[in-house]
Amino acid sequence: MRALVLILAAVVLLPFIVRPAIASEIWIFAIFGLGLNLLLGYTGLLSFGQSTFFGSAAYVAGYLLKHYAIGVFAALGIGVAVGAISALLVGYLCVQRSGLYFIMLTFALNQLFYFIAYQWTTVTGGEDGMPGVPRPAMLGIDFRDPVAYYIFVSVLFLLSLWLMKRIVDSPLGKILQGIRENEVRAEAVGYHVPRFKLLAFVIGGAFSGLAGVLYAMLFGIVPLEAIGFVTSGNVVFATLIGGSGSLYGPIIGSFVFIWLSESMSVVWARWPLLLGVAFIVVVLFFRGGVVEAWDRIWRFSKRTT
Amino acid sequence: MNLLLGQILNGIATGMLYALMGLGLSLITGVLNIPNFAHGALFAIGAYFLVSVVGLLGNFWLGLLVAPIGVALLGLLIEYAGVRRLYAAGHDYQLLFTFGLALILNELIIVIWGPVGISHLPPAILRGGVDLGFTFYPKYRLFVMAMAGLLVVATWLFLEKTRYGAIMRAGIENKEMVSLLGIDIHWLFTVAFALGAYLAGIAGALTAPIRGLSPGMGVDMLGIAFVVVALGGLGNLLGAIAAGLLIGVAQAVVAAYWTEASTAVIFAVMAAVLLVRPQGLFGIR
Amino acid sequence: MKRREILKIGAAAASLGFPAIIRAQPKEIVMLGLWDQTGAFADVGPLNDRGMRMALEERGMKVLGQPIKYITRDGATQAGTSTRRAEEAIDGEGARFMIGPWSSGVALAVSEVAKRKKVLHFFSGGTEDISGARCHRYSFQWAASPYTAAKTVVDNFMKANPKAKRWHLLVADYAFGWSVEKYIKEVGKTHGLEFVGADRHPLGEREFSNYVQKAAANKPDVVAMINFGGDAVAGAREIFNFGLTPKLPLIMCWSSGVEELIQLAPEIRENLWVGSNFYYTADTPVAKEFVKNYRAKFGTPPGYAPSAAYSMTRLMLAGFDKAKSSEVEAVIKALEGIEVNDLLGRMRVEPATHQTLRPYFFLRCKPKKAMKEELDFADVIATGDSPLPKEYAACKDIGGF
Repeated sequence: MRALVLILAAVVLLPFIVRPAIASEIWIFAIFGLGLNLLLGYTGLLSFGQSTFFGSAAYVAGYLLKHYAIGVFAALGIGVAVGAISALLVGYLCVQRSGLYFIMLTFALNQLFYFIAYQWTTVTGGEDGMPGVPRPAMLGIDFRDPVAYYIFVSVLFLLSLWLMKRIVDSPLGKILQGIRENEVRAEAVGYHVPRFKLLAFVIGGAFSGLAGVLYAMLFGIVPLEAIGFVTSGNVVFATLIGGSGSLYGPIIGSFVFIWLSESMSVVWARWPLLLGVAFIVVVLFFRGGVVEAWDRIWRFSKRTT
Repeated sequence: MNLLLGQILNGIATGMLYALMGLGLSLITGVLNIPNFAHGALFAIGAYFLVSVVGLLGNFWLGLLVAPIGVALLGLLIEYAGVRRLYAAGHDYQLLFTFGLALILNELIIVIWGPVGISHLPPAILRGGVDLGFTFYPKYRLFVMAMAGLLVVATWLFLEKTRYGAIMRAGIENKEMVSLLGIDIHWLFTVAFALGAYLAGIAGALTAPIRGLSPGMGVDMLGIAFVVVALGGLGNLLGAIAAGLLIGVAQAVVAAYWTEASTAVIFAVMAAVLLVRPQGLFGIR
Repeated sequence: MKRREILKIGAAAASLGFPAIIRAQPKEIVMLGLWDQTGAFADVGPLNDRGMRMALEERGMKVLGQPIKYITRDGATQAGTSTRRAEEAIDGEGARFMIGPWSSGVALAVSEVAKRKKVLHFFSGGTEDISGARCHRYSFQWAASPYTAAKTVVDNFMKANPKAKRWHLLVADYAFGWSVEKYIKEVGKTHGLEFVGADRHPLGEREFSNYVQKAAANKPDVVAMINFGGDAVAGAREIFNFGLTPKLPLIMCWSSGVEELIQLAPEIRENLWVGSNFYYTADTPVAKEFVKNYRAKFGTPPGYAPSAAYSMTRLMLAGFDKAKSSEVEAVIKALEGIEVNDLLGRMRVEPATHQTLRPYFFLRCKPKKAMKEELDFADVIATGDSPLPKEYAACKDIGGF
């Protein structure tokens, strides 16, 4: 309950602290992170290829928005579907594998999708990206207004969060966590583990797809990097920085990550170096991410005062 | 036909480099069980070390000798100071760590050697080419082929025929057994990481006169190294060699007819093989 | 530490990082250099920055008596990052004048931002679309039209090598490569050239052996590369290693000049022909002064990248002077049709397309023994400024504000 109040407050206050476009990006990235965390945090599957679904959805929905003038809801629906279907394809190839194989496979398949997008220039624009993705108006609301779009994104984010909470609290969520804790036992109890993993993949892909479409509409362009492995990495890192052990980890992580990279890039041209240092500091000293670090600081400050 | 033969030769040359990268990564992932996303950065560092050493000592051969050893020492340091603390941490944090490391190394390259690419010529004796009948081929590439082949064989002999190699292979298959034998598993991990780094470093050093140097040069190689390992099977050294050659040749042959697809084909081959054989070409599991 | 204090620090950090609702002082003119510090053109951004900074410092960071605030953002050579950071600088820092970025494809995306946000955007690069199919009132193109470049290169090369009719092309696979390739082929028709092959490679390609062998198998009279920076260097190196040059001539159609040539050994530069938007021996007073100052400051002479940033900034400031105003619309109107005698000699901005009409350079590299000094790479053997003929013009209507 307290978490919910905090998040609602953040949704309301954020556009007063940062520009609406960045605020929108933070929640979009958080939706993306929620999808990943179902795999990473709840099922114990480290997918390093989430941008496959994010990017595919962005390209397909962006293309239809641009050339066939479909509506906002149609675009969202298509994005979710494309995210889920591409996740089904990739997941089918990956869920049989575990550990490092799984990571490398998701990564390498991500590269395959990337190069397809790179070469299929007539549709994707290749290196140049696919510009000119519109934000169609709906019910008389002009989403070109950044604040209107921010509200739209926030509502979808809150819906996604609510849905994800329902999923992780459902029997399905419990089974997935059981798989994370002990795959052999889950299998022994009679669950078809690969099928559940695939299901987690598809749900995660659907969330990624939603985020991808919102991203395309936010910036009016689907850049090639939307489907690149750096995007896949970023969502993993954001989630880990926030703390993959908590439902709210990816949300905090996406805020910290976007804030870190945006503010540091202004300070120093070699900002990725600082980002790398931040990663290593997190790994060596704050392995639970911000959620845990906050806990520790909170306890520490209580002890000293 | 001549074009095809020439491209196959090209494929073997680049494939040998891919195999070196994959072999190093396979060792690291196999023995230490961590995803090393800094492998591409180590490759780049190898090339930059070579140029610096050659600049200092004025001798390519010394550079080729010293630079990869420098990378191995760097690998030693990385394992000792960082990776060692992460064996119990789970792949996610290992990945965050190695990726952070890759970012740092890449940026350090820019800080130390500058953002502008550097050209490096092969030593005088290896400049120019020879006519092989079906194609004119650069001497340096033939040298790289031979050198990479030699390294691959040496690594294989080391692992198969020496006591240390046997321990390392045991480390890939059964870590507990190695501990039970009274061998310090930490020492084994350190050496494996350093050896993997050495192979990445020498691949980078060998590549420098062909591709030149640029700060992002390791990124492409990282992806390829992962494909090689996934195809060849984790910790499977013969598999890594075969997979490296396979994608090198596939890439070159496709380039002869459809250049635009020549990079995508690497990943397409991988997806196709894994569909038929999910465990990779030579994987057992 | 109290929780409240932590929150306070957090809030302070947030306002530091996100310059949101704020803060350009009213009289300050904010200029944005969108220069890549990371990604494929990480090597170019710092050079662009030097050029722009020098042009602003020459004016004492002032124009029309108002102070100029120069800010830069790292576009990461990526369309998404660049557009996002450009928007942030426009909204957050109040930037109304923007130069860059370097990659054609990314610049096209940024150009859309300029149009949407109504800020003046100057760009230099090889895509024809900014002053062509996707032209609009806010974006200006500094680099020669790809047609001008192709015409200069092909005409003058054929004058020197009338028999070299079989061409093999190596093309970087993005907006810039496609534009230049198109016109090389168009101009080639008038010389009866046969294009025996045209292979495209991704931006950032470093392994050229496959492309080069294929080129060799086509038995061309000449290989022409339409790529840039590290790609061009790696390509030229392999073409030499595979024994094509110096037997065959190699043309780098759209080179940065010094910055690429300096990376190539003298052997590789033999029989190398180079088209460029700038070469440092350009014989104008402005260029002489600029090259002298640049060398004094950075050691090497400037190539295309710093020169373009320098000249674009100067041209934009000339627009301020002519308009006697720092309003975006007034400066745009002043730039349309402006004519100056500047870095490259006579330069004029075509009002209907926002294309800068200016000479393009064609160089022939010197053999090692003819070099007078280490950096004496090449002679300018011709310049050309044929504008894009009407039948190719894709910018039908530059539009309004």
